[in-house]
Amino acid sequence: MPLFILDPAGPMPISQALLVAMAGILTVLAELGVITLMILLLSKIIRAVAAKLSPPQPEPVSDPIPAPQAEPLPAGESQGTLTLEGVDEPTAAVIMAIVSHQSGIPLNRLRFLSIKEVEDPSA
Amino acid sequence: MNIFTEILRGIWESSGFSALEWKNTVMIGVSFVFLFLAIHPKLRFEPLLLVPIAFGILMANMPNTGLMADPAGLMDETQKIAGAHWYNDGVLRLIYAGVKSSVFPCLIFLGIGAMTDFGPLLANPISLLLGAAAQLGIYVAFVVAILLGFTPAEAASIAIIGGADGPTAILVATRLAGHLLAPIALAAYSYMALIPLIQPPLMRLLTTEKERKVEMKQLRKVSKAEKIIFPVVVFVVVALLLPDAAPLIGFLMIGNLFKECGATDRLSDTAQNALTNIVTIMLGITVGATANGQDFLRLKTILIVALGLAAFAFSTIGGLLLGKLLYLVTRGRINPLIGAAGVSAVPMAARVAQTQGRRYNPKNFLLMHAMGPNVAGVIGSAVAAGFLLMMFGS
Repeated sequence: MPLFILDPAGPMPISQALLVAMAGILTVLAELGVITLMILLLSKIIRAVAAKLSPPQPEPVSDPIPAPQAEPLPAGESQGTLTLEGVDEPTAAVIMAIVSHQSGIPLNRLRFLSIKEVEDPSA
Repeated sequence: MNIFTEILRGIWESSGFSALEWKNTVMIGVSFVFLFLAIHPKLRFEPLLLVPIAFGILMANMPNTGLMADPAGLMDETQKIAGAHWYNDGVLRLIYAGVKSSVFPCLIFLGIGAMTDFGPLLANPISLLLGAAAQLGIYVAFVVAILLGFTPAEAASIAIIGGADGPTAILVATRLAGHLLAPIALAAYSYMALIPLIQPPLMRLLTTEKERKVEMKQLRKVSKAEKIIFPVVVFVVVALLLPDAAPLIGFLMIGNLFKECGATDRLSDTAQNALTNIVTIMLGITVGATANGQDFLRLKTILIVALGLAAFAFSTIGGLLLGKLLYLVTRGRINPLIGAAGVSAVPMAARVAQTQGRRYNPKNFLLMHAMGPNVAGVIGSAVAAGFLLMMFGS
């Protein structure tokens, strides 16, 4: 096996440098492309195995008498009463807005029971 | 009286003042500037690295201290003195053996692996292609360096600055062009610190406002099994395809396995904290100590700094261009800004993508999406380094 493929100390014509550069970027793309395919394959196999091993979900029990539908709340409002412990109202509003945004659930379909300030033990 | 004069002359001649050259004085000034940039509360440019590097420069440029002396000729045959043993070498020279032998860069990669969450990459594997495209600058800088008259080994060592990965740049420079290590390491770390200044103008130049506003859908949850198998699979694939990349990828992936497997929490904790801190101290000081005024202050250094900047810029451009292509292919589901995070400076580049995305769309949250290309960039730059070592390593 040669110690190196190309002479590291000698002069290199620009055409050869361009070829090396092209081979380099293609090598990186190909290698990371192979890893991409491996990840896709791997995640498919793992998810398939996990789906087989997980216990079957119980059939949803159909309710003969449908529960009465709750009155839809106006957009931007949440259900129930909210207890604030060590948190002021503007902060609570921000927290509720973030939870709604991150979860993708509109605020009028969320119910907050309490928001409590917790001491950070590492602080 | 004569003896008194002799003593005074002896004290003067053995002092640093008698041997101080203007080049050392300039480098001492440079070290003060770096210390200021690293320590000033309003600047704080990569202080964990810049403080040891700057102090290493200061130590190496104090004449007659012998801190980097090599009388045993361990690394520099020209300094060899007959009868000298390895323990006669300067203390910094002995520590520098960890850089020269690639031990420190690999151990840093172990720590990086233990700190890295590959979850965003596994959730969106296309990120790997962005990490590959963001290595474009390496190859552009390589061609330009050849045009400027550098040897292929030197050109490869300079070009790797575009990988935006300090340990990788140090490993390649040590193996291919040890005499250029100091300017290459300093350029690599300086540009990593300057990413928030270098990338945003290129991001604005190459993307439209509509593209920058794209909101990406939430990533899927990645299972523990995927996270455990990933480092093993990546190491096997890379080591078989490109054995020269095995040291860096191997240490990166074993560090990640420590983190993810759940059975080696103590090892993961050591790799993330104590080990990384110890190695960073030794790596920083000794890399700084290679910046001796006599070797550092040359025209080549200025060229290396300029080429490093070009490499960084082209790597960002490569990532952004592939990001734009993916934006078109996916019909606007990928924000091209995350392509710029493909340069592997973790997590700085991802943070820049997040900040820029948020600037144009306050509801945008790109950080986790950008972390995918960002950690892919670490793998990409290690693969690019392996390719260059395979071509020119001896």
